[in-house]
Amino acid sequence: MIIEDDPRLRRGLELALSRLGYAVGAAGTGEEGLLRLQESKPDLVVLDVILPGIDGFEVCRRIRAAGTTPVIMLTARGDDFDVVAGLEAGADDYVVKPARPSVLDARIRAVLRRMPGADGDVREFGELRIDTSGLTVALRGGQVPLTPTEMRLLLTISRAPGRVFSRQQLLEQVWEHDYLGDSRLVDNCVQRLRAKIEADAANPVYVQTVRGFGYRFGPV
Amino acid sequence: MTARLAWPRGLRARSVWPRGSRGRRAWPRGLRARLLVAFVLVTVFGAAAAAWSSARSASTALAAGAERQFVETVTNQITANAAGLTYPPGQSTLDQLASAVGADTTVTYQNLRSTTGPDSDLITDAIRAAVQHGDSLFVQRIAAQGRPWLIVGTPVVITSTTGTRTPSGIQVYAVRDLTSVQRQIHSLTRSEAITTGLALPLAVLLALVAAGSVLRPVRRLRDTARRLSAGDLDARAVPRGADELADLTVTLNEMAESVQTSMAAMRRMQDDARRFAADASHELRTPLSTLTAVMEVLAAASQEMDGDARESAQLAIAETHRLVQLAEDLMEVSRFDAGTARLRTEDVEVGGAVRDCLRTRAWTDQVELSAPGEIWSRCDRRRLDVIVANLVGNALRHGAPPVRVSVSGAPEQVWIEVTDSGPGLPEQVLPHVFDRFYKADEARSRAPGSGLGLAIALENTLLHGGELTAGNASGGGARFVVRLPRGREDT
Amino acid sequence: MRRARWAMVAALAVVLALVAGCGVTPTGVRAAGQAPGGVAPGPTLYFVDSDRHLQPQVRPTEQLGTIAEALSLLLAGPPADADLHSEIWGVGTVQVTVTMAPGVIRLMAPLASTDVTAFGIEQIVCTALGVDVQRGGARSTKVQIVFTQPTPESDTLRTCPLISPAG
Repeated sequence: MIIEDDPRLRRGLELALSRLGYAVGAAGTGEEGLLRLQESKPDLVVLDVILPGIDGFEVCRRIRAAGTTPVIMLTARGDDFDVVAGLEAGADDYVVKPARPSVLDARIRAVLRRMPGADGDVREFGELRIDTSGLTVALRGGQVPLTPTEMRLLLTISRAPGRVFSRQQLLEQVWEHDYLGDSRLVDNCVQRLRAKIEADAANPVYVQTVRGFGYRFGPV
Repeated sequence: MTARLAWPRGLRARSVWPRGSRGRRAWPRGLRARLLVAFVLVTVFGAAAAAWSSARSASTALAAGAERQFVETVTNQITANAAGLTYPPGQSTLDQLASAVGADTTVTYQNLRSTTGPDSDLITDAIRAAVQHGDSLFVQRIAAQGRPWLIVGTPVVITSTTGTRTPSGIQVYAVRDLTSVQRQIHSLTRSEAITTGLALPLAVLLALVAAGSVLRPVRRLRDTARRLSAGDLDARAVPRGADELADLTVTLNEMAESVQTSMAAMRRMQDDARRFAADASHELRTPLSTLTAVMEVLAAASQEMDGDARESAQLAIAETHRLVQLAEDLMEVSRFDAGTARLRTEDVEVGGAVRDCLRTRAWTDQVELSAPGEIWSRCDRRRLDVIVANLVGNALRHGAPPVRVSVSGAPEQVWIEVTDSGPGLPEQVLPHVFDRFYKADEARSRAPGSGLGLAIALENTLLHGGELTAGNASGGGARFVVRLPRGREDT
Repeated sequence: MRRARWAMVAALAVVLALVAGCGVTPTGVRAAGQAPGGVAPGPTLYFVDSDRHLQPQVRPTEQLGTIAEALSLLLAGPPADADLHSEIWGVGTVQVTVTMAPGVIRLMAPLASTDVTAFGIEQIVCTALGVDVQRGGARSTKVQIVFTQPTPESDTLRTCPLISPAG
């Protein structure tokens, strides 16, 4: 679904994405988008930052609170504030305007691709249980709802516990970005993931920071 | 922008007080010392002059008093005794008169002479001559035997009953030692000198106080000027009193006021420009986004078009991409002008970043890259990409292949050198090569650029604290060198 | 600096002047008032000649002497050989008391106003005044003769026509 206030751009994106094979719905305001979200349950939301009424960040925050629907933000280049605020609101990725449909397509695919584990095994680390075929995560027996990006990040680093992944590597493997990716995507996603699976997000056990290099899983 | 609005460098660097070596001699340089010396000199000179003049008038009065007293004594003695003297006198009469007048007295009458002291040798010929030919009393001060003396010489006259005065022929000379008067004068002088000397510390004290009272407002002014030159435009000095310094203070405040006003106006204009750039960027971005979104649809559709329609569609697509690029470049430049461009630094392997830059733009087979080893630097990956892309793009458009890029490092710096094999930059182009929209050889360029690429590369380099220079390689091609500082502290 | 040098020169000049200005300096010969007088071959006495004119006559005593001495000589009478006479009668050798007051010579002679004529009074006045002038007194000094019996004449301040300035 596309939430974009400018009708021509909304229609343009709709046309381009439809042509690429997506079933596209569109909304002109954040309120309308949130309403439509409940009815149509889209796989992914492309969200403009600047909207009349409630802005893109607030919409993103509400989507995140409601479930695990991935969000890609449309931001203005160089507007770092938009990027940071969007990521903190829980966006999975962002695309700088003017966005080529091909670029947007690649990001959408990357976000939606859940990359099931090669062997479909079940990994258990302490109280954390990751089912790589069913793509579910349980903590102390309870299911933890993860967005596709969070899931993919967790799957990526838990495949080799103890190994250090640089932000750049994670960008390329999880977000499928080229070398110009924004490492803040990684940091924000890690924080959201920690909030969900760590007992104490300030002293993480599973996703640990290796200062100056990146992140590693465990050791538990 | 802030750097451009700051005070001229010279003004900031130069101290308010000249510390330079202006005077060749040991003339005091500080205002305080100069005031001190001048004040002390004036005070001491004044005191000395006053002391001198009072000592002089006092000594004159002392000497005159002593003289008058002596003359009076002699006159009175003569007058008191004259009526009782035998006339014409004999030797005994002269003796009588001489002893009446006192010690060191000589009385003569024609060839007769009577002396009561040993110092009658001191009587000068000048006073003798004066007494001989006059009918009044004469005095003369002389210095003899290392002492001052007073000589009084007078004829004794005969007064007729009608008051007519005729010399009687009797002459009286008296000599008096003035050493005691001299001593009195000397002690007076000494006490005056001591007084003058005592004025000295007082003068120094007063001078310090005066200098302080003069320098305090000066120091306040200096502090204010310093704060102003450091950029604190709210700094003001409170004028006190109604002297020239107060005038200066008022003038300084007015100057600060006008500077502040114009700075505020400038800042307002700057804000307006920034807002305009932001508004323009948003307004441009939306239609451009729409164009970008549908252009691929159009591109796919144009495959099925024929002839002119297809070419027109492709031209529209190409020009749209160019328009997007131009708008992006314009916005980038306006962000630099507005001062909103920020660095987002991370550790970057420069050689790899350059390679990636060439690879994503499919320039790898047109460009020779030499990047020996890993060179890590702390910089903004995206901006580094922009710099290299613009320089290489420029070389590909305006120069001739092969284009060479070499990366080299030193402990503190990283150099990226982009050289082409074209004819190089003409002499008259060099100063303008980084100017916006400056195109030296529009006709010969193979592909059009925005005209902002090099300006953006330069701004990005400067944002890193580096420098970008343009020149010609020894082989003849144009040569651009980027120097970036390396290894900034982790933040 | 040039200014500093000038200041030094000025300071030196002031100090020199200061030093030079102190002490007793030699001078040339200067007049310092009237020469004293008072010597004379003798006092001048006034007698009346045959034409009834007052005549001065120097009595060569080899010294001027006092007013009282001169008056004693006057009262003693003129020398015998001269063609002069005195118009003071009834006295021989007597002592006259002389008192000096500012501007006035007061004489107390043992005389009654009837003992003298107007000429006699002038003789006394002129002789006293003449000696006073010769001794350095002023010619404008008045003379008062106090007689033995009370009379307004005693209060008169008199002048000598031959000595006192006119008017």
